[in-house]
Amino acid sequence: MAASMRVPFDVYRFDPATDAAPRYQRYELDLAPHTPILTALLRIRSELDPTLTLRYSCRSAICGSCAMVVNSKSRLACETPVGPEFERHGRIVVDPMRNQPVLRDLVVETAPFWRQYRKIEPHLKPDPHHPLPVGRESPMTPEQVDRFRETPRCIACAACYSACPAVEADAGFPGPMALAKLYRFVVDPRDGATAQRLATIQPNGLWLCLRCHLCSEACPKDVDPSERIRDLKEMAIGIAGASEAGSRHAEGFKDNIRATGLLNEMRLVRQTSGLLGLAAQAPQGLRLAGKKPEVLRAPKKIEGHDEVEKLYELLDDQPPREGA
Amino acid sequence: MKLAYYPGCVAQESGRELDLATRWVCQKVGIDLVEFRNFSCCGSGFVDEANATLNVALNARNLAIAERAGLDLLTICSTCQGMLSLANRRLEDPTVRAAVDGPLRQIGVTYSGKVRVKHLLEVLMKDVGLDRIRALVRRPLTGLKVGAFYGCHLLRPSDEVGSESAEEPQSFEQLLSAIGATPVYYRGRVMCCGFPILFVKPETANRIAATQIDDARAHGAHAMATPCPLCHISLDSFQNQAAREAGHPLDMPVFHLPQLVGLALGATAEEMGLPRHLVSTDEALRRVGEVAIPS
Repeated sequence: MAASMRVPFDVYRFDPATDAAPRYQRYELDLAPHTPILTALLRIRSELDPTLTLRYSCRSAICGSCAMVVNSKSRLACETPVGPEFERHGRIVVDPMRNQPVLRDLVVETAPFWRQYRKIEPHLKPDPHHPLPVGRESPMTPEQVDRFRETPRCIACAACYSACPAVEADAGFPGPMALAKLYRFVVDPRDGATAQRLATIQPNGLWLCLRCHLCSEACPKDVDPSERIRDLKEMAIGIAGASEAGSRHAEGFKDNIRATGLLNEMRLVRQTSGLLGLAAQAPQGLRLAGKKPEVLRAPKKIEGHDEVEKLYELLDDQPPREGA
Repeated sequence: MKLAYYPGCVAQESGRELDLATRWVCQKVGIDLVEFRNFSCCGSGFVDEANATLNVALNARNLAIAERAGLDLLTICSTCQGMLSLANRRLEDPTVRAAVDGPLRQIGVTYSGKVRVKHLLEVLMKDVGLDRIRALVRRPLTGLKVGAFYGCHLLRPSDEVGSESAEEPQSFEQLLSAIGATPVYYRGRVMCCGFPILFVKPETANRIAATQIDDARAHGAHAMATPCPLCHISLDSFQNQAAREAGHPLDMPVFHLPQLVGLALGATAEEMGLPRHLVSTDEALRRVGEVAIPS
């Protein structure tokens, strides 16, 4: 076992009641490399500074309370060892989670996160015409359960919410966790509200996901919210068609490249935004065309375009729909 | 070395300067670009959202073109890199395989799943090597502080595309150092540019772009550089809208990766297509002693 090492911590400190601005406080500890960051922070609190405020409970990556930002990445402090972080960065910078207001030091206000979660109505809503049986189980097949194997693993630690650039830029976006949970109910065969759920979440919800995969990288439980959101998008198009700017853009893109095999940039803007939207973008379009005249030209058909067309006919015109 | 050149849509259209710079740099460092006229669009992530099976099939067809020629495939776009890698990965799933093999056979295409998809950044780092690039530098970009901006799909999902750490990538910064520039480290370098929702909710997309540009500037960057033409659209072509959203001027020149390499290897601003940028690169060029072209 490697000997202990002197590890510097720069910890975010802020008490909105008394401090004009946040600051970083330096602490140093002798630690074995496998020591979890949470253990180190608790040692700081008990041995060096009893005023350091943080939230934690189980210390076993089950409760999700100790999510924080360690060296720029949102993660659980209890399952992040000191060694690799120290090796990579030469110090350990600890910040509170992003996208949530700081209450004090490393403790954030989680109410907005839970409000977003409530938006998706996280409970079974059976079809009133096919109520669930009373007094006995509603069995599912292993294949049905397999469809949402990942999402029940979520511990609601909000690491994904903290990592999400769409949450950061748009308060309306429900965030990765809420959408992954939505997916869980949408694919549950006992739930009967899929169309209503997708219709509710589409505007300003689903289609603001940037598919940047930062949530999936941050998730300590491999829920992979990014892929769940992708699945929801395809289902939303299947049920409601291209009814939103986001679904119009995805569907429009798909149809766009069918024509020549390559993207026609200007046509895509018209498909997504409509003629009015195109008119609104006209000054920008002209500005671009002044430097990049290609934006006004349609691409030529690629060679072998008939192969592309055939793939569309076989896989898109009559797609083998799930459950059909 | 020979590679199947997959320029992607944007580099053949509004981002043509990227194609120009790529060809110039590849010729200089000895990468033989084999061209094909039958590549289709990678779907850019949007086709994956609309029809995942179709997306895999279209990209399997693209990959099969390289396979028939016995070549690995070179991309110059983080998103193309991501989508073609995604197809390789999804094809490992027998269900996906079963769904696309039939339609592919009907168009006379078979694909083994074995073509390697390599982004230009990886090829410059691993196949050409920094020693060779350093030896070719004619005009080191001394004094130019550059914020690398990787683009999501070059890094994530890390188990799919990752040729290096998704959290702490280093290759772009090492390349920048090799050509004499000073890399700037900032949080935004691995973040999103906002492009996927640029036409869905422009104000949100513009805010995201402005955040990353402001972050690079706050860490001292004179310029940014990206291996992805879609990031370039967000960061350069729509920077005026990002500035409007931010409420302050941004004035950040944004280079395509091969443009900076080309400049260091002796190319002129015109050869790199710099006059095509929406945000002037003149100030950055003056820092490295290249005379800007009067526009």
